[in-house]
Amino acid sequence: MSDEHGRVWGTRRGEPGYPAALLDLRADAPDRLFGCGNRTAIEGLELGHTVTIVGSRRASSYGLGVAEDLGRLLAAAGLVVVSGMARGIDAAAHRGALAGGGTTLAVLGGGADVVYPTSERRLYRDILTSGAVISEAPPGQRPEAGSFPKRNRIMAALGAITVVVEAAQPSGSLITARQALGLHREVGAIPGPVTSRVSEGTNDLIIDGAALIRGAQDVLDRLLGVGIEGIRRCGPPLERDLARVAEAVELGSGTCDAVAVALGAPPQEAAIALARLELLGYVRTDAAGRYARSPLIPPGGDAAP
Amino acid sequence: MEADVESGGLPSFSLVGLPDPAVRESRERVRSALVNSGFKFPMHRITANLAPADLRKAGPGFDLAIAAALLGASGQLSPQRLSRIALAGELALDGSIRPVPGILAMTEAARELDAEAIAVPAPNAPEAALAGEPRVVPLVRLEQLALLGTEDEPLAPQGPMWRANGAGPTAPDLADLRGQPYLRYALEVAAAGGHSLLIIGPPGAGKSLAARRLPSIMPPLSRSEAMEVLRIASACGRSPGPDAPPTRPFRAPHHTISTAGLVGGGSPPRAGEVTLAHGGVLFLDELGEFSREALEALRQPLEEGRVTIVRARHAIELPCRFMLVAASNPCPCGRGEESGECDCQPASARRYRAKLSGALADRIDIAIPVECPSAEEMGAAPTSDSASVRQRVIAARERQEHRLGSGRCNAEMSLAELRSSSAMTGKATAMLAAGHTQLGLSGRGHDRVLRLSRTIADLEGAGRVSADHVARALTLRRRGLD
Repeated sequence: MSDEHGRVWGTRRGEPGYPAALLDLRADAPDRLFGCGNRTAIEGLELGHTVTIVGSRRASSYGLGVAEDLGRLLAAAGLVVVSGMARGIDAAAHRGALAGGGTTLAVLGGGADVVYPTSERRLYRDILTSGAVISEAPPGQRPEAGSFPKRNRIMAALGAITVVVEAAQPSGSLITARQALGLHREVGAIPGPVTSRVSEGTNDLIIDGAALIRGAQDVLDRLLGVGIEGIRRCGPPLERDLARVAEAVELGSGTCDAVAVALGAPPQEAAIALARLELLGYVRTDAAGRYARSPLIPPGGDAAP
Repeated sequence: MEADVESGGLPSFSLVGLPDPAVRESRERVRSALVNSGFKFPMHRITANLAPADLRKAGPGFDLAIAAALLGASGQLSPQRLSRIALAGELALDGSIRPVPGILAMTEAARELDAEAIAVPAPNAPEAALAGEPRVVPLVRLEQLALLGTEDEPLAPQGPMWRANGAGPTAPDLADLRGQPYLRYALEVAAAGGHSLLIIGPPGAGKSLAARRLPSIMPPLSRSEAMEVLRIASACGRSPGPDAPPTRPFRAPHHTISTAGLVGGGSPPRAGEVTLAHGGVLFLDELGEFSREALEALRQPLEEGRVTIVRARHAIELPCRFMLVAASNPCPCGRGEESGECDCQPASARRYRAKLSGALADRIDIAIPVECPSAEEMGAAPTSDSASVRQRVIAARERQEHRLGSGRCNAEMSLAELRSSSAMTGKATAMLAAGHTQLGLSGRGHDRVLRLSRTIADLEGAGRVSADHVARALTLRRRGLD
């Protein structure tokens, strides 16, 4: 690829950029890891703040919707969403994470610079802009049938929890879930209709003791503590004026006009402040351009959400 | 138009040259009108030919010409006198002449053909006179054909009385929009740079009220734009009265409109809404409800400012430079998720969002969320009217024309023009770069912000784009799928 994001970088076991979570695989941990995209997405990975979402390629619309919502809400809450970029559930989870304005990691079976499946070329490109695509396979290598179970162990190790959205019996997603259990990671499953073939695997997982996941909050409850809505990270320093605007957004002012009314300033001034806050990461917008407060807290923490 | 009257043979009247039913029926109208106007209908074998023979002729506008050709061929009028005169008009059975659409374009075509004069139905005469040339002869009845070229020829009306103007005297004014100062600002930026705009908000938030007021803050139509607008209106049979100045059109097709209705089509080809909106505003309310095909078909018109309708035998090109304003509810029920009253199924809300963010994503520069104005805002005095906003818009457009050339605006800048005309302060460059890394702006999103920043700077008369301009552009930009 000629795209600047297409340049492949690599890291070795023992180097500082190597994800610590993979060391739990012990002897099985990949010696080298290659990646494309935003290198900081993998270097800054925090233990406990990741979720792996996997599921069937032939998912139902129910499964696709749940996966996308999970991806979106968990990414918005500050978790890194890990998946395998396969058609179906994987792709929906990545898409959701991107829509939520978060970071997402795709673990591929072939080389990180080989788009597979090719139908997800656009998704691949989108992932590269904010997140990363990683693989233990050397650059340029095509994926083979045997490379997917191996890839699954990396996904299982990277996620603090692995959520299976839809899976038939047997399936690769269940292999990932089993590997996660083997690593003493949490495993969750989305319940589905008892008549649906693609929910057989997930319903079985629940019977076997996996956490029943009804939505993003169930995942957050397990990872961060009951009732916590997102990861609170400390953001960059905030000027006094901007802090007041952030507070106004937190209290429900979602548009420039509303912020302007709350502050008694002209809306053009509010617009400037909101753009600055968005660049600093304190507010986020949806597709319509409405503002909402992110979980970021200012240093000093007097305006915690 | 030619006619031959053969003596001998059975009396008959045939019309050739691919006439459509309305033209074919012209035979019956012409026969009655001639007889009722005191002329004789020649009882011979008559052939009237509409040239060129392979082009389909439609509509009743040929009646007058057919009658004149018949009169010439049968010697009742002098063929020499008629030969350099263009004629258009529909005949009534009693010999009176009815108005037809498209007179302005016909008069201009007559000028191209070096006609001496054009005879038109009297109600169409003021419109025909707008073309300036050739001489316009208003006719009320068929028998007046005999007066053509004589001293008794009816006189053309005086030239157009109106001055080119953007908004008519009754155009809705921005002062009607209560509250919503930021929406007002977004409209101003959109009008100043020719940027298309998407307004998202619940029903009652004033989306369509605002869109309807956009023409009133756009710069006045130039003389040539005004003629184009008139020509299109005339061809579609919606000619404004001769006294009213042509205003920037505002078209708001319903979302069930077909692709052909939107961009033009059919046989014979008809102008679509995009062409009717030429020079003005095309408003798509409920953007997400328009069919995917219709929205896809908007791409070429939006990008090129003209639309090509291809038919088996020929292709026609119609102008369609318009500003696009789209509006949408935030979700299918209209209340929006953040209102807490939304009762949409998550799946249908998701589909709606996906369609909305995909629709014309790369063609709409500005997206703005709106809320219903509060009771105080509804009662508050209006803050500014269209005239004052329009002054700023005109000034901003002048700066753009100075930079880009006559009639151009920031929304149409090529990438090279964008780079060369966007001198930025250091802080502005840094902020745009931060947008790229922090907000994941794509290349297209980056260019969009740059374009909007340039317009915002133009509105303030600033030569260089500052960080504040970029910040405001970041807020206004359309997000989602680039």
